[in-house]
Amino acid sequence: FFMLAVRPGVPQPEDTVQFRVSMQMTKVDIKNYLEKIYNVPVAAVRTRIQYGANNKRNHKNQRVKKPDYKVAYVQLGQGQTFQFPNLFPEKEQDTETQSFDDFKNKYMEREQQKQKGDPRRGGVPDWFGL
Amino acid sequence: MAARGCRRLLWCGRRWFSQAESAALPRPPESLYPPIVASATAKSKAAKRRRHEYFLQRVHAAPSVEEKLRFYLQRQRPKYMVYPQTFALNADRWYRSFTKTVFVPGLPRRAAAAPQPAAGAAPEAAGAPGPGAAAPADAKPPSGAAPFLDVAGLRSLVCDVLLQETFYQSKGRPFLYRDHDHTFGPFLTQLVPALTAFLCGHNPLLASSALDLKPEVNYYWHHGEEVVVHGHRKGRVDPVRFQIDDKPHLQIRVPKQLPEIVPLESDLGEVPVIDHKPSKLPLFKKQYENRVFIGSKVADPCCYGHTQFHLFPDKLKRQRFIKANLEDQIEVVYRANGIASLFAWTAAQAMYQGFWSEADVTRPFVSQAVVTDGKYFAFFCYQLNTLALTVETVRNNPRKNICWGTESKPLYDVVEDGSVKGLNDEVLFHLVSFLLNRPKEL
Repeated sequence: FFMLAVRPGVPQPEDTVQFRVSMQMTKVDIKNYLEKIYNVPVAAVRTRIQYGANNKRNHKNQRVKKPDYKVAYVQLGQGQTFQFPNLFPEKEQDTETQSFDDFKNKYMEREQQKQKGDPRRGGVPDWFGL
Repeated sequence: MAARGCRRLLWCGRRWFSQAESAALPRPPESLYPPIVASATAKSKAAKRRRHEYFLQRVHAAPSVEEKLRFYLQRQRPKYMVYPQTFALNADRWYRSFTKTVFVPGLPRRAAAAPQPAAGAAPEAAGAPGPGAAAPADAKPPSGAAPFLDVAGLRSLVCDVLLQETFYQSKGRPFLYRDHDHTFGPFLTQLVPALTAFLCGHNPLLASSALDLKPEVNYYWHHGEEVVVHGHRKGRVDPVRFQIDDKPHLQIRVPKQLPEIVPLESDLGEVPVIDHKPSKLPLFKKQYENRVFIGSKVADPCCYGHTQFHLFPDKLKRQRFIKANLEDQIEVVYRANGIASLFAWTAAQAMYQGFWSEADVTRPFVSQAVVTDGKYFAFFCYQLNTLALTVETVRNNPRKNICWGTESKPLYDVVEDGSVKGLNDEVLFHLVSFLLNRPKEL
Protein backbone atom coordinates (compact mmCIF):
# COMPACT_ATOMS: atom_id res chain seq x y z
CA PHE A 1 0.00 0.00 0.00
CA PHE A 2 1.50 3.26 -1.04
CA MET A 3 0.22 6.72 -1.95
CA LEU A 4 2.05 9.21 -4.10
CA ALA A 5 0.78 12.80 -4.37
CA VAL A 6 1.11 14.00 -7.95
CA ARG A 7 0.59 17.26 -9.76
CA PRO A 8 -2.73 17.02 -11.65
CA GLY A 9 -2.40 17.12 -15.41
CA VAL A 10 -5.79 18.82 -15.71
CA PRO A 11 -6.56 21.66 -13.24
CA GLN A 12 -8.55 20.32 -10.29
CA PRO A 13 -10.76 22.24 -7.83
CA GLU A 14 -9.00 23.65 -4.76
CA ASP A 15 -10.15 20.97 -2.36
CA THR A 16 -9.10 18.05 -4.58
CA VAL A 17 -5.74 16.30 -4.26
CA GLN A 18 -4.60 13.78 -6.85
CA PHE A 19 -2.70 10.64 -5.81
CA ARG A 20 -1.26 7.59 -7.53
CA VAL A 21 -2.02 4.65 -5.28
CA SER A 22 -1.40 0.93 -5.21
CA MET A 23 -3.72 -1.01 -7.48
CA GLN A 24 -5.07 -3.08 -4.59
CA MET A 25 -6.23 -0.08 -2.54
CA THR A 26 -9.94 0.71 -2.40
CA LYS A 27 -11.64 4.05 -1.70
CA VAL A 28 -12.22 3.05 1.92
CA ASP A 29 -8.55 2.05 2.25
CA ILE A 30 -7.43 5.40 0.90
CA LYS A 31 -9.72 7.29 3.28
CA ASN A 32 -8.50 5.32 6.29
CA TYR A 33 -4.87 5.63 5.21
CA LEU A 34 -5.03 9.42 5.07
CA GLU A 35 -7.15 9.87 8.16
CA LYS A 36 -5.30 7.52 10.47
CA ILE A 37 -1.69 7.90 9.38
CA TYR A 38 -1.60 11.53 8.27
CA ASN A 39 -4.58 12.96 10.17
CA VAL A 40 -6.03 14.52 7.03
CA PRO A 41 -9.85 14.92 7.01
CA VAL A 42 -11.20 13.26 3.88
CA ALA A 43 -14.67 14.10 2.58
CA ALA A 44 -14.82 11.99 -0.59
CA VAL A 45 -12.58 9.72 -2.67
CA ARG A 46 -12.97 8.77 -6.31
CA THR A 47 -10.65 6.35 -8.06
CA ARG A 48 -9.90 5.20 -11.56
CA ILE A 49 -7.39 2.86 -13.13
CA GLN A 50 -5.17 4.30 -15.83
CA TYR A 51 -4.25 1.76 -18.47
CA GLY A 52 -0.58 1.98 -19.49
CA ALA A 53 -0.13 1.82 -23.26
CA ASN A 54 1.41 -1.17 -24.98
CA ASN A 55 2.38 0.47 -28.25
CA LYS A 56 6.09 1.20 -27.92
CA ARG A 57 8.53 -1.32 -29.32
CA ASN A 58 12.04 -2.11 -28.14
CA HIS A 59 15.09 -2.92 -30.28
CA LYS A 60 13.83 -6.49 -30.72
CA ASN A 61 10.44 -5.22 -31.98
CA GLN A 62 8.71 -6.58 -28.87
CA ARG A 63 5.93 -4.49 -27.45
CA VAL A 64 6.89 -2.71 -24.23
CA LYS A 65 4.06 -2.05 -21.85
CA LYS A 66 3.95 0.99 -19.59
CA PRO A 67 2.62 -0.14 -16.20
CA ASP A 68 -1.02 0.43 -15.20
CA TYR A 69 -1.65 2.53 -12.13
CA LYS A 70 -4.58 3.65 -10.03
CA VAL A 71 -5.34 7.37 -9.60
CA ALA A 72 -7.30 8.65 -6.63
CA TYR A 73 -8.98 12.06 -6.42
CA VAL A 74 -9.40 12.94 -2.76
CA GLN A 75 -11.68 15.80 -1.70
CA LEU A 76 -10.58 17.24 1.62
CA GLY A 77 -13.07 17.88 4.41
CA GLN A 78 -13.63 20.88 6.68
CA GLY A 79 -13.08 23.38 3.89
CA GLN A 80 -9.37 22.66 3.52
CA THR A 81 -7.64 23.36 0.23
CA PHE A 82 -4.46 22.11 -1.36
CA GLN A 83 -2.29 23.45 -4.15
CA PHE A 84 0.48 21.24 -5.49
CA PRO A 85 3.74 23.11 -4.78
CA ASN A 86 6.12 24.25 -7.47
CA LEU A 87 9.07 21.87 -7.00
CA PHE A 88 11.44 23.67 -9.37
CA PRO A 89 11.19 27.37 -8.63
CA GLU A 90 13.28 29.89 -10.56
CA LYS A 91 16.43 30.43 -8.51
CA GLU A 92 17.74 33.94 -8.11
CA GLN A 93 21.10 34.16 -9.82
CA ASP A 94 23.84 35.97 -7.94
CA THR A 95 25.66 38.78 -9.75
CA GLU A 96 28.67 36.70 -10.71
CA THR A 97 26.78 33.97 -12.53
CA GLN A 98 24.47 36.58 -14.03
CA SER A 99 27.34 38.60 -15.47
CA PHE A 100 28.97 35.38 -16.71
CA ASP A 101 25.69 34.36 -18.41
CA ASP A 102 25.41 37.78 -20.05
CA PHE A 103 29.00 37.57 -21.27
CA LYS A 104 28.36 34.09 -22.64
CA ASN A 105 25.22 35.20 -24.48
CA LYS A 106 27.00 38.18 -26.01
CA TYR A 107 29.86 35.98 -27.19
CA MET A 108 27.45 33.47 -28.77
CA GLU A 109 25.64 36.31 -30.55
CA ARG A 110 28.90 37.63 -31.96
CA GLU A 111 29.89 34.17 -33.18
CA GLN A 112 26.53 33.75 -34.91
CA GLN A 113 26.89 37.14 -36.55
CA LYS A 114 30.28 36.07 -37.91
CA GLN A 115 28.82 32.83 -39.30
CA LYS A 116 26.24 34.77 -41.26
CA GLY A 117 27.40 36.04 -44.59
CA ASP A 118 27.44 39.53 -45.99
CA PRO A 119 24.18 41.23 -44.97
CA ARG A 120 24.08 42.98 -48.32
CA ARG A 121 23.51 39.60 -50.01
CA GLY A 122 20.14 39.28 -48.13
CA GLY A 123 20.64 35.73 -46.75
CA VAL A 124 21.73 34.21 -50.11
CA PRO A 125 24.69 31.76 -49.55
CA ASP A 126 28.21 32.56 -50.73
CA TRP A 127 28.49 29.77 -53.27
CA PHE A 128 25.49 31.09 -55.23
CA GLY A 129 26.52 33.26 -58.07
CA LEU A 130 28.41 33.36 -61.26
CA MET B 1 -34.71 23.86 -60.39
CA ALA B 2 -32.07 21.27 -61.12
CA ALA B 3 -29.44 23.22 -59.21
CA ARG B 4 -31.58 23.25 -56.08
CA GLY B 5 -32.30 19.54 -56.40
CA CYS B 6 -28.66 18.49 -56.47
CA ARG B 7 -27.78 20.85 -53.59
CA ARG B 8 -30.35 19.11 -51.43
CA LEU B 9 -28.61 15.75 -51.97
CA LEU B 10 -25.30 17.14 -50.71
CA TRP B 11 -26.86 18.20 -47.40
CA CYS B 12 -27.77 14.68 -46.27
CA GLY B 13 -25.42 15.02 -43.26
CA ARG B 14 -27.34 17.96 -41.80
CA ARG B 15 -30.81 16.53 -41.54
CA TRP B 16 -32.50 19.38 -39.74
CA PHE B 17 -31.13 21.91 -42.15
CA SER B 18 -32.60 20.15 -45.16
CA GLN B 19 -36.00 20.69 -43.61
CA ALA B 20 -35.06 24.26 -42.78
CA GLU B 21 -34.09 24.85 -46.38
CA SER B 22 -37.65 24.41 -47.49
CA ALA B 23 -39.10 26.35 -44.57
CA ALA B 24 -36.77 29.25 -43.92
CA LEU B 25 -34.73 29.95 -47.05
CA PRO B 26 -36.12 32.89 -48.95
CA ARG B 27 -38.19 32.33 -52.03
CA PRO B 28 -36.65 33.03 -55.44
CA PRO B 29 -36.34 36.80 -55.43
CA GLU B 30 -38.35 38.91 -57.79
CA SER B 31 -35.44 41.15 -58.76
CA LEU B 32 -32.62 40.08 -61.05
CA TYR B 33 -30.00 40.96 -58.43
CA PRO B 34 -30.57 38.96 -55.21
CA PRO B 35 -28.62 40.02 -52.09
CA ILE B 36 -25.11 38.61 -51.91
CA VAL B 37 -24.84 36.60 -48.70
CA ALA B 38 -22.40 33.97 -47.52
CA SER B 39 -22.98 30.41 -48.61
CA ALA B 40 -25.07 28.30 -46.28
CA THR B 41 -23.29 25.00 -46.89
CA ALA B 42 -19.60 25.88 -47.13
CA LYS B 43 -17.18 24.72 -44.44
CA SER B 44 -16.62 28.28 -43.22
CA LYS B 45 -17.38 30.37 -40.18
CA ALA B 46 -19.72 32.63 -42.18
CA ALA B 47 -21.70 29.60 -43.32
CA LYS B 48 -21.91 28.32 -39.75
CA ARG B 49 -23.13 31.72 -38.59
CA ARG B 50 -25.76 31.79 -41.33
CA ARG B 51 -27.03 28.31 -40.40
CA HIS B 52 -27.20 29.35 -36.76
CA GLU B 53 -29.22 32.44 -37.74
CA TYR B 54 -31.61 30.31 -39.75
CA PHE B 55 -32.09 28.09 -36.73
CA LEU B 56 -32.86 31.11 -34.55
CA GLN B 57 -35.28 32.49 -37.13
CA ARG B 58 -37.01 29.13 -37.30
CA VAL B 59 -37.50 28.95 -33.56
CA HIS B 60 -38.68 32.58 -33.36
CA ALA B 61 -41.12 32.07 -36.20
CA ALA B 62 -42.56 28.81 -34.89
CA PRO B 63 -46.36 29.05 -34.77
CA SER B 64 -46.91 27.35 -31.40
CA VAL B 65 -45.04 26.61 -28.20
CA GLU B 66 -44.91 22.88 -28.99
CA GLU B 67 -43.22 23.61 -32.34
CA LYS B 68 -40.76 25.95 -30.64
CA LEU B 69 -39.87 23.33 -28.07
CA ARG B 70 -39.55 20.72 -30.81
CA PHE B 71 -36.97 22.81 -32.70
CA TYR B 72 -35.13 23.81 -29.54
CA LEU B 73 -34.84 20.25 -28.25
CA GLN B 74 -34.26 18.54 -31.57
CA ARG B 75 -30.48 18.03 -31.65
CA GLN B 76 -29.26 15.44 -29.18
CA ARG B 77 -25.66 15.63 -28.02
CA PRO B 78 -23.91 14.42 -24.85
CA LYS B 79 -24.97 16.59 -21.94
CA TYR B 80 -24.35 16.78 -18.22
CA MET B 81 -27.07 15.22 -16.08
CA VAL B 82 -27.68 17.51 -13.13
CA TYR B 83 -29.29 15.75 -10.19
CA PRO B 84 -31.00 18.04 -7.69
CA GLN B 85 -30.66 15.45 -4.90
CA THR B 86 -26.95 14.79 -4.83
CA PHE B 87 -24.31 13.89 -2.28
CA ALA B 88 -21.56 15.75 -4.18
CA LEU B 89 -19.60 18.16 -2.00
CA ASN B 90 -20.41 21.88 -2.32
CA ALA B 91 -22.93 21.07 -5.01
CA ASP B 92 -24.99 24.19 -4.32
CA ARG B 93 -22.11 26.45 -5.32
CA TRP B 94 -21.67 24.62 -8.60
CA TYR B 95 -25.42 24.62 -9.29
CA ARG B 96 -25.57 28.36 -8.64
CA SER B 97 -22.86 28.94 -11.22
CA PHE B 98 -24.63 26.70 -13.78
CA THR B 99 -27.96 28.51 -13.37
CA LYS B 100 -26.69 32.06 -12.65
CA THR B 101 -28.50 32.14 -9.32
CA VAL B 102 -27.88 34.30 -6.29
CA PHE B 103 -28.65 32.65 -2.96
CA VAL B 104 -30.10 34.88 -0.24
CA PRO B 105 -30.42 33.23 3.17
CA GLY B 106 -33.79 33.69 4.84
CA LEU B 107 -37.16 34.07 3.19
CA PRO B 108 -38.19 37.35 1.54
CA ARG B 109 -40.35 39.66 3.65
CA ARG B 110 -43.19 39.45 1.17
CA ALA B 111 -43.56 35.66 1.34
CA ALA B 112 -43.17 35.60 5.12
CA ALA B 113 -45.80 38.35 5.54
CA ALA B 114 -48.68 36.31 4.15
CA PRO B 115 -52.08 36.54 5.92
CA GLN B 116 -51.06 35.50 9.36
CA PRO B 117 -53.28 34.25 12.18
CA ALA B 118 -55.31 37.33 13.00
CA ALA B 119 -55.30 38.84 16.47
CA GLY B 120 -58.64 37.08 16.95
CA ALA B 121 -56.73 33.86 17.14
CA ALA B 122 -54.94 35.17 20.24
CA PRO B 123 -56.56 32.66 22.63
CA GLU B 124 -55.14 29.77 20.63
CA ALA B 125 -51.89 31.60 19.90
CA ALA B 126 -51.37 32.41 23.56
CA GLY B 127 -51.77 28.74 24.41
CA ALA B 128 -49.18 27.85 21.79
CA PRO B 129 -45.51 27.46 22.82
CA GLY B 130 -45.29 31.06 21.96
CA PRO B 131 -42.28 32.71 20.34
CA GLY B 132 -42.73 31.08 16.96
CA ALA B 133 -46.23 32.41 16.45
CA ALA B 134 -45.89 35.63 18.40
CA ALA B 135 -42.80 37.06 16.75
CA PRO B 136 -44.08 36.82 13.15
CA ALA B 137 -47.45 38.15 14.31
CA ASP B 138 -45.72 41.24 15.67
CA ALA B 139 -43.56 41.84 12.64
CA LYS B 140 -46.18 41.58 9.89
CA PRO B 141 -49.12 43.96 9.53
CA PRO B 142 -52.44 42.13 9.14
CA SER B 143 -53.42 42.23 5.49
CA GLY B 144 -56.73 44.09 5.32
CA ALA B 145 -59.69 41.92 6.32
CA ALA B 146 -57.57 38.83 7.10
CA PRO B 147 -59.90 35.91 7.71
CA PHE B 148 -59.68 34.12 10.99
CA LEU B 149 -57.14 31.30 10.69
CA ASP B 150 -57.72 28.32 12.96
CA VAL B 151 -54.21 27.68 14.23
CA ALA B 152 -55.25 25.01 16.70
CA GLY B 153 -57.15 23.21 13.95
CA LEU B 154 -54.06 23.29 11.76
CA ARG B 155 -51.87 21.98 14.52
CA SER B 156 -54.23 19.15 15.32
CA LEU B 157 -54.48 18.31 11.62
CA VAL B 158 -50.71 18.05 11.28
CA CYS B 159 -50.39 15.96 14.44
CA ASP B 160 -53.20 13.71 13.25
CA VAL B 161 -51.57 13.03 9.91
CA LEU B 162 -48.19 12.43 11.54
CA LEU B 163 -49.57 10.05 14.13
CA GLN B 164 -51.58 8.20 11.50
CA GLU B 165 -48.43 7.35 9.62
CA THR B 166 -46.14 6.72 12.57
CA PHE B 167 -48.34 5.43 15.39
CA TYR B 168 -51.91 4.50 14.57
CA GLN B 169 -51.20 2.51 11.44
CA SER B 170 -49.25 -0.62 12.18
CA LYS B 171 -46.86 -1.10 9.33
CA GLY B 172 -44.23 -3.76 9.12
CA ARG B 173 -40.55 -3.01 9.22
CA PRO B 174 -39.37 -0.92 6.29
CA PHE B 175 -37.34 -2.64 3.63
CA LEU B 176 -33.61 -1.90 3.70
CA TYR B 177 -32.88 1.78 2.97
CA ARG B 178 -36.56 2.48 2.27
CA ASP B 179 -37.41 4.47 5.40
CA HIS B 180 -38.48 7.46 3.39
CA ASP B 181 -40.99 5.49 1.32
CA HIS B 182 -42.28 3.72 4.38
CA THR B 183 -43.12 6.59 6.70
CA PHE B 184 -42.28 10.05 5.46
CA GLY B 185 -43.50 9.63 1.90
CA PRO B 186 -47.06 8.76 2.92
CA PHE B 187 -46.93 11.43 5.63
CA LEU B 188 -46.17 14.13 3.07
CA THR B 189 -48.68 12.73 0.59
CA GLN B 190 -51.43 12.89 3.21
CA LEU B 191 -50.36 16.17 4.78
CA VAL B 192 -50.31 18.35 1.68
CA PRO B 193 -53.81 17.59 0.35
CA ALA B 194 -55.17 17.88 3.90
CA LEU B 195 -53.58 21.30 4.40
CA THR B 196 -54.62 22.42 0.91
CA ALA B 197 -58.22 21.45 1.58
CA PHE B 198 -58.12 23.18 4.97
CA LEU B 199 -56.76 26.41 3.49
CA CYS B 200 -58.95 26.48 0.37
CA GLY B 201 -61.29 28.94 2.01
CA HIS B 202 -58.46 31.36 2.72
CA ASN B 203 -56.75 31.03 -0.63
CA PRO B 204 -59.13 30.69 -3.62
CA LEU B 205 -56.14 29.93 -5.84
CA LEU B 206 -55.77 26.55 -4.14
CA ALA B 207 -59.31 25.68 -5.09
CA SER B 208 -58.41 25.83 -8.78
CA SER B 209 -54.97 24.25 -8.36
CA ALA B 210 -53.79 20.86 -9.58
CA LEU B 211 -51.91 18.50 -7.31
CA ASP B 212 -49.43 16.11 -8.92
CA LEU B 213 -48.07 13.01 -7.20
CA LYS B 214 -44.49 12.15 -8.15
CA PRO B 215 -44.52 14.21 -11.35
CA GLU B 216 -41.54 14.62 -13.63
CA VAL B 217 -39.95 17.98 -14.15
CA ASN B 218 -37.32 18.32 -16.88
CA TYR B 219 -35.34 21.19 -18.31
CA TYR B 220 -32.54 21.41 -20.89
CA TRP B 221 -30.22 24.39 -21.30
CA HIS B 222 -26.82 25.55 -22.51
CA HIS B 223 -24.40 27.51 -20.36
CA GLY B 224 -20.78 28.27 -21.07
CA GLU B 225 -18.38 26.78 -23.56
CA GLU B 226 -15.79 24.04 -23.56
CA VAL B 227 -13.24 22.62 -25.94
CA VAL B 228 -13.92 19.03 -27.04
CA VAL B 229 -11.15 16.83 -25.63
CA HIS B 230 -11.35 13.48 -27.43
CA GLY B 231 -12.90 12.19 -30.58
CA HIS B 232 -13.29 13.26 -34.16
CA ARG B 233 -14.41 16.73 -33.06
CA LYS B 234 -11.32 17.32 -30.93
CA GLY B 235 -10.32 20.93 -30.59
CA ARG B 236 -13.68 22.44 -31.51
CA VAL B 237 -15.59 24.73 -29.16
CA ASP B 238 -18.95 23.41 -28.02
CA PRO B 239 -21.59 24.83 -25.70
CA VAL B 240 -21.90 23.00 -22.37
CA ARG B 241 -25.30 21.30 -22.27
CA PHE B 242 -27.17 20.44 -19.07
CA GLN B 243 -30.35 18.54 -18.35
CA ILE B 244 -32.22 18.33 -15.07
CA ASP B 245 -34.59 15.37 -14.64
CA ASP B 246 -36.30 15.82 -11.33
CA LYS B 247 -39.05 13.85 -9.62
CA PRO B 248 -40.46 15.90 -6.76
CA HIS B 249 -42.64 14.05 -4.33
CA LEU B 250 -45.60 16.42 -4.75
CA GLN B 251 -46.32 19.49 -6.76
CA ILE B 252 -49.07 22.12 -6.81
CA ARG B 253 -49.70 23.85 -10.13
CA VAL B 254 -52.00 26.85 -10.43
CA PRO B 255 -53.64 28.70 -13.34
CA LYS B 256 -52.42 32.14 -12.23
CA GLN B 257 -48.83 33.16 -11.71
CA LEU B 258 -47.47 34.06 -8.28
CA PRO B 259 -46.52 37.73 -7.94
CA GLU B 260 -42.92 38.86 -8.26
CA ILE B 261 -40.92 39.27 -5.08
CA VAL B 262 -38.36 41.82 -6.25
CA PRO B 263 -38.20 43.76 -9.54
CA LEU B 264 -36.84 42.04 -12.60
CA GLU B 265 -33.46 43.81 -12.70
CA SER B 266 -32.56 43.59 -9.02
CA ASP B 267 -29.08 42.56 -7.96
CA LEU B 268 -28.98 40.93 -4.54
CA GLY B 269 -25.57 39.29 -4.55
CA GLU B 270 -22.85 37.59 -6.52
CA VAL B 271 -23.03 34.48 -8.66
CA PRO B 272 -20.05 32.17 -7.99
CA VAL B 273 -17.82 31.71 -11.03
CA ILE B 274 -16.12 28.32 -11.23
CA ASP B 275 -13.38 27.91 -13.81
CA HIS B 276 -13.25 24.14 -13.72
CA LYS B 277 -15.17 21.77 -15.93
CA PRO B 278 -18.46 20.51 -14.49
CA SER B 279 -17.12 16.95 -14.57
CA LYS B 280 -14.96 17.81 -11.54
CA LEU B 281 -18.05 18.12 -9.36
CA PRO B 282 -18.44 15.09 -10.30
CA LEU B 283 -21.05 15.40 -13.03
CA PHE B 284 -21.42 12.90 -15.86
CA LYS B 285 -22.40 13.18 -19.49
CA LYS B 286 -24.95 11.14 -21.36
CA GLN B 287 -26.85 11.58 -24.58
CA TYR B 288 -30.59 10.99 -24.42
CA GLU B 289 -33.83 12.77 -25.16
CA ASN B 290 -33.82 16.51 -24.47
CA ARG B 291 -36.95 17.30 -22.54
CA VAL B 292 -38.68 20.35 -21.07
CA PHE B 293 -41.65 19.49 -18.89
CA ILE B 294 -43.34 21.09 -15.88
CA GLY B 295 -45.54 18.17 -14.86
CA SER B 296 -48.28 18.67 -17.40
CA LYS B 297 -48.37 19.33 -21.13
CA VAL B 298 -48.52 22.76 -22.69
CA ALA B 299 -52.28 22.85 -23.15
CA ASP B 300 -53.02 22.36 -19.46
CA PRO B 301 -54.61 25.49 -17.90
CA CYS B 302 -52.63 25.09 -14.66
CA CYS B 303 -49.35 26.03 -16.30
CA TYR B 304 -47.76 28.07 -13.52
CA GLY B 305 -46.08 26.59 -10.51
CA HIS B 306 -46.98 27.20 -6.90
CA THR B 307 -45.19 24.82 -4.54
CA GLN B 308 -43.10 21.68 -4.84
CA PHE B 309 -42.45 19.21 -2.06
CA HIS B 310 -39.24 17.20 -2.18
CA LEU B 311 -38.42 14.21 -0.03
CA PHE B 312 -34.87 12.99 0.46
CA PRO B 313 -34.06 9.32 -0.04
CA ASP B 314 -32.32 7.35 2.68
CA LYS B 315 -28.98 7.95 1.01
CA LEU B 316 -29.08 11.60 2.05
CA LYS B 317 -30.30 11.39 5.60
CA ARG B 318 -28.63 13.33 8.37
CA GLN B 319 -27.09 10.42 10.28
CA ARG B 320 -25.06 9.36 7.29
CA PHE B 321 -23.48 12.80 6.97
CA ILE B 322 -22.83 13.05 10.70
CA LYS B 323 -21.20 9.62 10.72
CA ALA B 324 -18.92 10.63 7.84
CA ASN B 325 -17.94 13.92 9.55
CA LEU B 326 -19.65 16.01 6.89
CA GLU B 327 -22.00 18.13 9.02
CA ASP B 328 -21.45 21.20 6.87
CA GLN B 329 -22.69 19.35 3.79
CA ILE B 330 -26.17 18.75 5.27
CA GLU B 331 -27.38 22.26 4.47
CA VAL B 332 -25.60 22.13 1.11
CA VAL B 333 -27.79 19.18 0.12
CA TYR B 334 -30.99 21.09 0.92
CA ARG B 335 -29.82 24.19 -0.93
CA ALA B 336 -28.66 22.27 -3.99
CA ASN B 337 -32.01 20.51 -4.21
CA GLY B 338 -33.95 23.75 -3.81
CA ILE B 339 -31.93 25.69 -6.38
CA ALA B 340 -31.76 22.99 -9.04
CA SER B 341 -35.38 21.84 -8.81
CA LEU B 342 -36.84 25.31 -8.69
CA PHE B 343 -34.66 26.56 -11.54
CA ALA B 344 -35.78 23.64 -13.70
CA TRP B 345 -39.45 24.18 -12.82
CA THR B 346 -39.54 27.95 -13.30
CA ALA B 347 -37.48 27.80 -16.48
CA ALA B 348 -39.74 25.09 -17.90
CA GLN B 349 -42.78 27.23 -17.01
CA ALA B 350 -41.17 30.15 -18.84
CA MET B 351 -40.52 27.95 -21.90
CA TYR B 352 -44.17 26.87 -21.85
CA GLN B 353 -45.05 30.56 -22.20
CA GLY B 354 -42.81 30.89 -25.25
CA PHE B 355 -39.70 32.43 -23.69
CA TRP B 356 -36.28 30.92 -24.31
CA SER B 357 -32.63 31.92 -24.15
CA GLU B 358 -32.88 34.18 -27.23
CA ALA B 359 -36.27 35.59 -26.18
CA ASP B 360 -35.71 36.38 -22.54
CA VAL B 361 -38.53 36.53 -19.98
CA THR B 362 -40.36 39.85 -19.72
CA ARG B 363 -41.83 39.12 -16.30
CA PRO B 364 -40.27 37.16 -13.44
CA PHE B 365 -41.49 33.62 -12.74
CA VAL B 366 -41.83 32.73 -9.07
CA SER B 367 -42.18 29.33 -7.45
CA GLN B 368 -41.73 27.83 -4.01
CA ALA B 369 -40.42 24.56 -2.70
CA VAL B 370 -40.34 22.68 0.57
CA VAL B 371 -37.44 20.26 0.89
CA THR B 372 -37.64 17.73 3.66
CA ASP B 373 -36.22 14.49 4.86
CA GLY B 374 -39.34 13.71 6.85
CA LYS B 375 -38.55 15.56 10.06
CA TYR B 376 -36.45 18.55 9.00
CA PHE B 377 -38.03 21.09 6.66
CA ALA B 378 -36.28 23.74 4.58
CA PHE B 379 -38.20 26.35 2.58
CA PHE B 380 -37.12 27.89 -0.71
CA CYS B 381 -38.46 30.66 -2.94
CA TYR B 382 -37.14 31.14 -6.45
CA GLN B 383 -37.50 34.05 -8.82
CA LEU B 384 -36.47 33.42 -12.40
CA ASN B 385 -35.35 36.71 -13.98
CA THR B 386 -33.41 35.44 -16.94
CA LEU B 387 -33.26 32.41 -19.21
CA ALA B 388 -30.40 33.78 -21.29
CA LEU B 389 -27.49 31.61 -20.16
CA THR B 390 -25.84 30.71 -23.48
CA VAL B 391 -22.49 32.24 -24.36
CA GLU B 392 -23.85 34.88 -26.76
CA THR B 393 -26.78 35.92 -24.62
CA VAL B 394 -25.11 35.95 -21.20
CA ARG B 395 -22.48 38.45 -22.31
CA ASN B 396 -24.65 41.57 -22.00
CA ASN B 397 -27.17 40.20 -19.55
CA PRO B 398 -26.98 41.84 -16.11
CA ARG B 399 -29.97 39.95 -14.73
CA LYS B 400 -29.56 37.14 -12.22
CA ASN B 401 -31.95 34.57 -10.86
CA ILE B 402 -32.56 34.74 -7.13
CA CYS B 403 -33.20 31.97 -4.62
CA TRP B 404 -34.22 32.62 -1.03
CA GLY B 405 -33.90 29.72 1.39
CA THR B 406 -33.95 28.82 5.05
CA GLU B 407 -31.95 26.33 7.01
CA SER B 408 -33.53 23.01 7.81
CA LYS B 409 -35.59 23.04 10.98
CA PRO B 410 -37.40 20.11 12.62
CA LEU B 411 -41.17 20.07 12.49
CA TYR B 412 -41.43 18.04 15.66
CA ASP B 413 -39.03 16.67 18.22
CA VAL B 414 -40.24 13.15 18.76
CA VAL B 415 -43.37 11.06 18.43
CA GLU B 416 -44.07 8.83 21.40
CA ASP B 417 -47.05 7.27 23.11
CA GLY B 418 -49.56 8.56 20.64
CA SER B 419 -48.61 12.22 20.88
CA VAL B 420 -46.30 14.56 19.02
CA LYS B 421 -43.83 16.32 21.28
CA GLY B 422 -42.37 19.69 20.43
CA LEU B 423 -44.33 20.67 17.33
CA ASN B 424 -42.46 23.62 15.87
CA ASP B 425 -44.85 26.49 15.15
CA GLU B 426 -42.35 28.37 13.04
CA VAL B 427 -42.09 25.56 10.52
CA LEU B 428 -45.87 25.22 10.48
CA PHE B 429 -46.21 28.96 9.96
CA HIS B 430 -43.81 28.90 7.00
CA LEU B 431 -45.66 25.94 5.49
CA VAL B 432 -49.01 27.65 5.84
CA SER B 433 -47.78 30.97 4.50
CA PHE B 434 -46.30 29.16 1.48
CA LEU B 435 -49.63 27.54 0.73
CA LEU B 436 -51.48 30.81 1.24
CA ASN B 437 -49.26 32.67 -1.23
CA ARG B 438 -51.35 34.08 -4.07
CA PRO B 439 -51.44 36.88 -6.66
CA LYS B 440 -52.58 40.27 -5.33
CA GLU B 441 -55.80 40.32 -7.39
CA LEU B 442 -57.30 37.34 -5.55
